[in-house]
Amino acid sequence: MARFVLIRIGHALLVLVCVATLVFFLDRVTGNPVQVLLPPDATVADAQQLSQALGLDKPLIVQYLHYMGGLAHLDLGQSLYYRSDVVTLIAQRLPATAELAAGALVFALVLAVPAGLFAAVKRGSMVDTALMSLVLLGQCTPAFYIGIILIWVFSIIFPVLPSSGIGGLNHLILPAITLGSYSLAVIARILRTQLIEVFGEDYIRTARAKGLSGMRVIVGHALRNASLPVVTVVGLEIGSLLGGAILTETVFAWPGLGQLTVQAIDNRDFPLVQGIVMLFVTTFLVVNLLVDLVYGVIDPRVRLS
Amino acid sequence: MTPTRPNPFSRRDFMRASALAAAGGTLLAGCSTSSSSGSGSKGSLGGTLTMSQPADATTMDPQLQGDVADMNILINMFDCLTTRDSQNRLVGQLATSWTAVNPTTWRFTLRKGVKFHNGEPFNAAAMKYSIERLLDPKTGSPIVEFADAGVTGVNVIDEYTADIVSKIPAPIIPEQCALFDGVMVPPNYIEEKGAAYFAKNPVGTGPFKFVQWQPGAQVVLEANPSYWGGAPSLSQLIIKPVPDSATALASLQSGELDMVTGLVGSDVQPVAGASGIKIVSVPGIRCYFVNLDTEASGPLADVRVRQALNYAVDVDALIKVVLAGYGQQIATMFPSSAFGYSSTVKPYPYDPQKAKQLLAAAGYPNGFSTKMSANATNSLLLQAIAGQLAKVGVQVSQKTYAVQTFTELDYVNQGNALGPTYVVNNSGWSMDAYSYLQSYIRPTSRSSRWNNAQATQLVTTEQTSVEPAARQAAFAQLQNLMIEQAPFIFLFVSDLVLPMSTQVTFKPNALGMQAMTNASIG
Repeated sequence: MARFVLIRIGHALLVLVCVATLVFFLDRVTGNPVQVLLPPDATVADAQQLSQALGLDKPLIVQYLHYMGGLAHLDLGQSLYYRSDVVTLIAQRLPATAELAAGALVFALVLAVPAGLFAAVKRGSMVDTALMSLVLLGQCTPAFYIGIILIWVFSIIFPVLPSSGIGGLNHLILPAITLGSYSLAVIARILRTQLIEVFGEDYIRTARAKGLSGMRVIVGHALRNASLPVVTVVGLEIGSLLGGAILTETVFAWPGLGQLTVQAIDNRDFPLVQGIVMLFVTTFLVVNLLVDLVYGVIDPRVRLS
Repeated sequence: MTPTRPNPFSRRDFMRASALAAAGGTLLAGCSTSSSSGSGSKGSLGGTLTMSQPADATTMDPQLQGDVADMNILINMFDCLTTRDSQNRLVGQLATSWTAVNPTTWRFTLRKGVKFHNGEPFNAAAMKYSIERLLDPKTGSPIVEFADAGVTGVNVIDEYTADIVSKIPAPIIPEQCALFDGVMVPPNYIEEKGAAYFAKNPVGTGPFKFVQWQPGAQVVLEANPSYWGGAPSLSQLIIKPVPDSATALASLQSGELDMVTGLVGSDVQPVAGASGIKIVSVPGIRCYFVNLDTEASGPLADVRVRQALNYAVDVDALIKVVLAGYGQQIATMFPSSAFGYSSTVKPYPYDPQKAKQLLAAAGYPNGFSTKMSANATNSLLLQAIAGQLAKVGVQVSQKTYAVQTFTELDYVNQGNALGPTYVVNNSGWSMDAYSYLQSYIRPTSRSSRWNNAQATQLVTTEQTSVEPAARQAAFAQLQNLMIEQAPFIFLFVSDLVLPMSTQVTFKPNALGMQAMTNASIG
């Protein structure tokens, strides 16, 4: 197991170095940040002066080595637009994004597991069709549409929830539902499919024949065996929840990383874009590693191989 | 001949200017801000006003910011040497008077008895420190108007008198001081605490003091009871970033916000007529026109064709469609609030018949084809103009660019990278026609595709003379020349539009910075 983890960590570091290099050079293809920072009518002299002040006049390879050196010390540089440390900027926004992602995941799981289960048990019936249509609606409707409808209903027509911003738990409800709707659908549908497949297996018939109750069969045997692909999907969803909250954060004025990312790209704020991308890639790699470890726990066959 | 200077005043890019276009200014019930008692408000004292803008602040250092979102917050904590009153007249703020000793020296007399929020005094030494910090390359300030105007520094004459000196004639230094070029910062505080600390814990002389900044969530300010202009009516001011206009309006309706800024006319339809909400609008400074390439060979080189294009465009219809009516037609390229505006210059009327006649006379009885570009925020305007021109036989193929790309291409080859014609937004922060015309008239200017000797000479006169009468005369002549030669398709200026709770008393000025000194709630 230890060897397995070490090899995976080694791979992850290699991926990080490649991504850092790719993002560094691709970023600079998008244009010159100095022109974005200055007014449209600034002179060439103004541009040169600001370039110098920001360290953008040095040769590209020098900037690259400087950046990679900084990465090794977990120093992600200074934001060109905000004039403060990228690490600080990300650290300020990360808790809000994490809170939103967690809220969305909890919402998705709490509803997806019973929905997928129920639909699988009652497969082919009206209940199954109704449940799956409902979750499909959540998957197909864009986040900004769901968000605005929720705000309309629960902040204006029935003023019970706040329409925007971060705060207590009541501020989290609408954004979490908006962001979690897509994941809810994905998880529910794959769980249902997996369960249906598992229900047809021999060991389920055996368990029933042994006289085990329906619930014990489902939870103890079926669910556990069906969960492998579901765990993979949940892992992927965590990654996309963290990175894909941009629309939800915009609609609800949620002070997370999503908004910061869009602005950073718009402003050609290279260090900030790079920092955020590195964060997301790292998160993805860590989550995937954890998923593999969870696999090992759930499925002894993986552990022993 | 004076060397070409790019427009030093429209420091915001077009996207930022759109956010600005809907921001407000100062409520002044007839009092100018240079008077010592500022209570012209009609509402009750105290209370918290919560307002939204589309973007978050990036810094609390007024000399490092370059964006509307920052200005709206910082204008409440910091004062400049001069400012604009509710009638858009230039009045003193931290300066009480100024005079041009010679074309390269402006002498300012400063207000006595003003203190920064930390207690240190404001005086000529602070003015020298502030302006020289702005000009210092190490500061890395994106505010470049003074540098472009050739300002070299400040000479202290006595404790409350100082000269701003430049190496070339600079007729509108006092106007530029009303922008953040003339913002005054505390020397002792910055030297002691450092620039990084100052950027997170600002100290100014303004009517509000800094309390807290939660990045992405809100900025909280509280009233400064010892403000030299009189304590503000509000006890607290909260500014929140809300990027989505629909969400902001929903929050206004639910009572979570008292005022929404950064919107354009077409955005506010959902709350028009909603109970408890009113929409305040005033003409702004954001002007729209179409830049034509008069120098390349082709139909646009013929003045009759250009005049025809102006007759073919129905500006009132455009204002209705694009701004939901929140705009005004302008004869040339700047609004009536700008110095240099002349009411005797009349805009082109909508006359498609005349347009067709002129096109035929120029040799294009069946019209011609051309290309027009715009940035993404103006795509609706582009479509509307193309539709109108098609009616007189001019086929326009349209191209839309992302805002940043458009701004960059504008730099390339004097705008030719954007094609023979493109839609322009132009905001003149100094409220002087100088700013609006800077980039477009002189043949060597950044975006100029018009080479007219008389126009060049007139623009030189208005740029080098400090005598208002001479400048006004030059501007009037220039406008008449522009109407006759039609180097652009002239369009409109957009209004500032502010939806707010009926509890709020606040009137913006044309500049569109949220200076809430005399706003009140309740």
